[in-house]
Amino acid sequence: MIRVENLTKKYAGGEAVRGISFSVEKGEVVGFLGPNGAGKSTTMRILTGFLSATDGQIEVAGAKLPEESLLVRQRIGYMPENVPLYPEMRVEEFLEYRGRLKRVSRRDITERVGLVLDQCGLSDVRKKIIGTLSKGFRQRVGLADALIHNPPLLILDEPTAGLDPHQIRSFRELIKDLGRDRTILLSTHILSEVEMVCRRAIIINRGKIEASDTLANLAKRVQSGALQIEVKADPVGAREKLAKLSEVGGVVELNRVGEWVSFEVTALPGKDIRGEVDGLIKREQWPLRDFRREKARLEDVFVELTQE
Amino acid sequence: MTRAFWTLWKREAGAILLSPIAWVLLTCMALINGFSFSQCVAYLGQGVREFTVMQIYFYIFHFWFLLIILVPILTMRLFSEEYKTGTIEMLLTAPVRDGDVILAKFAGALTFYLLLWIPSLLGLAVFQVVTHNAVPVAWIPLGLSYLMVTLVGMLYLSIGLFTSVLSKNQAVSAMLSFTIIALLFFTGFLSYLVKDPGWREVLTYIFTLEQMRSFSAGQFDSRPVVFYLSGTVFFLCLTQRVMANRALKG
Repeated sequence: MIRVENLTKKYAGGEAVRGISFSVEKGEVVGFLGPNGAGKSTTMRILTGFLSATDGQIEVAGAKLPEESLLVRQRIGYMPENVPLYPEMRVEEFLEYRGRLKRVSRRDITERVGLVLDQCGLSDVRKKIIGTLSKGFRQRVGLADALIHNPPLLILDEPTAGLDPHQIRSFRELIKDLGRDRTILLSTHILSEVEMVCRRAIIINRGKIEASDTLANLAKRVQSGALQIEVKADPVGAREKLAKLSEVGGVVELNRVGEWVSFEVTALPGKDIRGEVDGLIKREQWPLRDFRREKARLEDVFVELTQE
Repeated sequence: MTRAFWTLWKREAGAILLSPIAWVLLTCMALINGFSFSQCVAYLGQGVREFTVMQIYFYIFHFWFLLIILVPILTMRLFSEEYKTGTIEMLLTAPVRDGDVILAKFAGALTFYLLLWIPSLLGLAVFQVVTHNAVPVAWIPLGLSYLMVTLVGMLYLSIGLFTSVLSKNQAVSAMLSFTIIALLFFTGFLSYLVKDPGWREVLTYIFTLEQMRSFSAGQFDSRPVVFYLSGTVFFLCLTQRVMANRALKG
């Protein structure tokens, strides 16, 4: 759906994007991750034909940029950062205007508008003036605009920025739903969002791609999770025994409550230490009251990849 | 014209009519128009017989003053606002050509501009009724006058559109277009001063006031028509160049 090779964008002051290459296949929901100013928005603006690249080959939705810009724009639904809208228009009127602009036929327009209003939960505010809507609703109008011509590819630039937790939750559900029959590329700097919505992430930092992989594979790149256990045992002895296990990378004592002591046991990269630790506890017959694994979070991957 | 053009034109004309500026402009235009029209009538009342009321109307200061001031106010927001609020991104990522966007904005502004001159026609109608049609309306000079108003308006609007794409700041683009328009307008007066016949010829060619005078007297001349139309096309093309360049620079 998207194929980018050696994309470079130079500004007067420097380079925003430095020769990045990536691709998004049909049907994927991909998160485009990066700290603020990493080049996410610039890349998306190039993909949508709004900016032109300084160098590189770009193919979006089966058409080449910049030569077939009109075709690309016809096939994508784009929701820009901060969702700029015309404040004086009514929701329904705006969507009708946008639909007509995106070549929805006069015959289909009413049906399409009704459909996206429904889909984005806007039916109650269809007659309202956009300028009077709350941020959450305006965001929905932006998404409805991106969907109005039923594009096979959605490009969403920070779709949940500025929403409150409730709105973020319902917005993510919406995006998840949309991902069932569409290809979606969405940028964000909120990691939990990618974890909830996407199957794959592209991590970009300072104009370069640091990683592009499924979330599971990305998680493997960092220590594959730590194990927290709480046992009744001699703290010093237990710690030594845990540390001696072959696949354990490190043991940290967290705290003691009476005779109970809790440890955080980290594994060597790529190893699963649950069986080994469990075996040890059984052999030593330590009473156990807590045993849980902290999953490697995307946040760890992100920090590791994008730190200075 | 493409369908995108009509959709965009509808939105542009709508946006102007829904903005407070439109109604302030309409009211002020009607006021100043009425004032200048009554002055024309008063002038006729002194026993002037050489001119019709419309000839005076299109020649006096109020009219030109309005024309020069009006256009920058009308055009300043066209692109500046879209760049400032970011809606330009939404607009240009829809499958529309830059050319359609520019033409639609131009046509939308022109539509409203023409609407602004309706009160002056009403003035004439009232005049005819009150005078019991003592001097019948000379339709050809009247038509030519409004043709000229349209042509001049087209050129000025295209200048305004061009300066609007230059800056995100509406005041800056208004000032720029006002300057260009005013210079263009007042340069014509130099034809009274220069001695060199070649230069005088050139200056007469762009002397809007004189052209208006001959048009409102019923004398058609194709040279101003060519001048204003080609000028309009020139500035619309410039606008397009700037837009394309903006996408390149980001």
